[in-house]
Amino acid sequence: MQAVWAQIDGLGKIVTTNVAYTLRLFQMFYTSIRATFFDQAQGLRTVFAVLSAQIYFTGWQAMPLITVLALASGGVVILQSSSNLTLFGGAQMIGNLLVVIVVRELAPLLTALVVVARSGTAVASEVGNMRANREIEALESMGINPLSYIVFPRILGGVISVVCLATYFVLISLLGGFMLTKLIHDMPFNFYVDALTRAVAPEDIWLFLLKNSFSGMIIFVVSCYQGLSVKRSPTEVPIVTTQAVVKSIIYVIVFNLSVTTLFYLHELSRIGVI
Amino acid sequence: MSPFQIPEIKTMTFEQMTFRYDGGAPVFENVDFKCPVNNFIWVKSAQMGAGRSTLLQIMAGLTPISSGKYLINDKNVADMTFEEFIPYRLTMGYSFDYGGLLSNKTLFDNLILPLLYHKLFSEEEAERRVNMYMQEMGILRYKDQRPSAVQGSVRKITCLLRPILSHPQVLLLDEPSLGLSQDLILKYFDLIQDLRRQGSAKHVFVSTFDEKLMGMIEHQELLIDRKQLFCEASGTESTLKKVGNL
Repeated sequence: MQAVWAQIDGLGKIVTTNVAYTLRLFQMFYTSIRATFFDQAQGLRTVFAVLSAQIYFTGWQAMPLITVLALASGGVVILQSSSNLTLFGGAQMIGNLLVVIVVRELAPLLTALVVVARSGTAVASEVGNMRANREIEALESMGINPLSYIVFPRILGGVISVVCLATYFVLISLLGGFMLTKLIHDMPFNFYVDALTRAVAPEDIWLFLLKNSFSGMIIFVVSCYQGLSVKRSPTEVPIVTTQAVVKSIIYVIVFNLSVTTLFYLHELSRIGVI
Repeated sequence: MSPFQIPEIKTMTFEQMTFRYDGGAPVFENVDFKCPVNNFIWVKSAQMGAGRSTLLQIMAGLTPISSGKYLINDKNVADMTFEEFIPYRLTMGYSFDYGGLLSNKTLFDNLILPLLYHKLFSEEEAERRVNMYMQEMGILRYKDQRPSAVQGSVRKITCLLRPILSHPQVLLLDEPSLGLSQDLILKYFDLIQDLRRQGSAKHVFVSTFDEKLMGMIEHQELLIDRKQLFCEASGTESTLKKVGNL
């Protein structure tokens, strides 16, 4: 019996620790927005300078990797679905299948994972090093709020970058993937484009924007929070960077899964299945 | 030009102030103390690690105290938000013992940042001021270098110049002579004396073990001992007097 209680206690501790951590993330996100709007001195020029740098590093520099990933995944999905659907006589369904797989699921998840790997680590180690080198303290001593000067532009830049990268992923995946596999299948391009445009519904766009904007927010809030959690020593930086990656991936996957589940439950309830 | 009304700093007082690092033993315990002002104040301690840097950080509002009150002009710092405390920060210059320069900016950008960010001066005036002080301290030729590309003494001078550029009322200098030649540090203190003659840098707190430097400056002493603060007037032979009766 003791062992059961110990298990329950352990589980409870994990849950409360994670809930407390999530609340602290929300608090930092809120205070960074608040600080930005209450900062009388910080002009748009300052925010824009950091924001544009963030978009350049997170969005622009990630495009080659996203291109390769999108071409590979798009090509594979198009090839597999077109050959299997043709076997079962449902070639017209290719648009729907691609929208479901690429637009709703693959693009948000793979883009988020690439951004976590490239920029989440960079931001966590950059902010962590700033803390270890006392740059954050220096900003405070100058009356510059690190939450409005460092954190907010990175979150905003991250959200914009992830949404743009995911859009780019979808375009390259669907069009580039088609071109790449053109030699293997004989699907006419007009038929393919027509099937895709017929399959895209407004809720796909909303789902796409919701997933990507929140994934971007999650990645950069977690990364900034982990970076700021460094106390003094540079030896803490690799530790918080690893934690930022692990926690970002977990939060992004849980968020994507939750949104997908809720969306399909909503769809099932709309057509009267549940 | 600046949206802030800069208050005149008259008093800096601790009431029942206790400070401890996360879960550690207290560095300061139930301190009642009115900081000496209108002078150079040498922050001393009987031994290393007594809390001199911590005290300066608390005074600059960078490190919150664990309990009690830290009052500036009878206003409790803990009750102020970051934004409410900015006018006080803008008239309190703090120089780090090490680090504290933004590594992705040049030395010039590091120095001009607070002046432009808070719109304390026009762009031309801020540039003129930064160039003048860099020239004065002999580091102008490094202005376009980043901190990692210059030697430690140049970084230290940059770190020392940043707080005085806005002509603050309070200066908190943590180990200012660390890694600097006697000539350079004396030149820096000449700049501070010039500021004092112009009416700023009224209250200068210097934490250092450099007895030779402080021997050249008329000062008061603030001693940290047994988790308490004590002060005495410069040159007096009397026993240190605790200023506890607020």
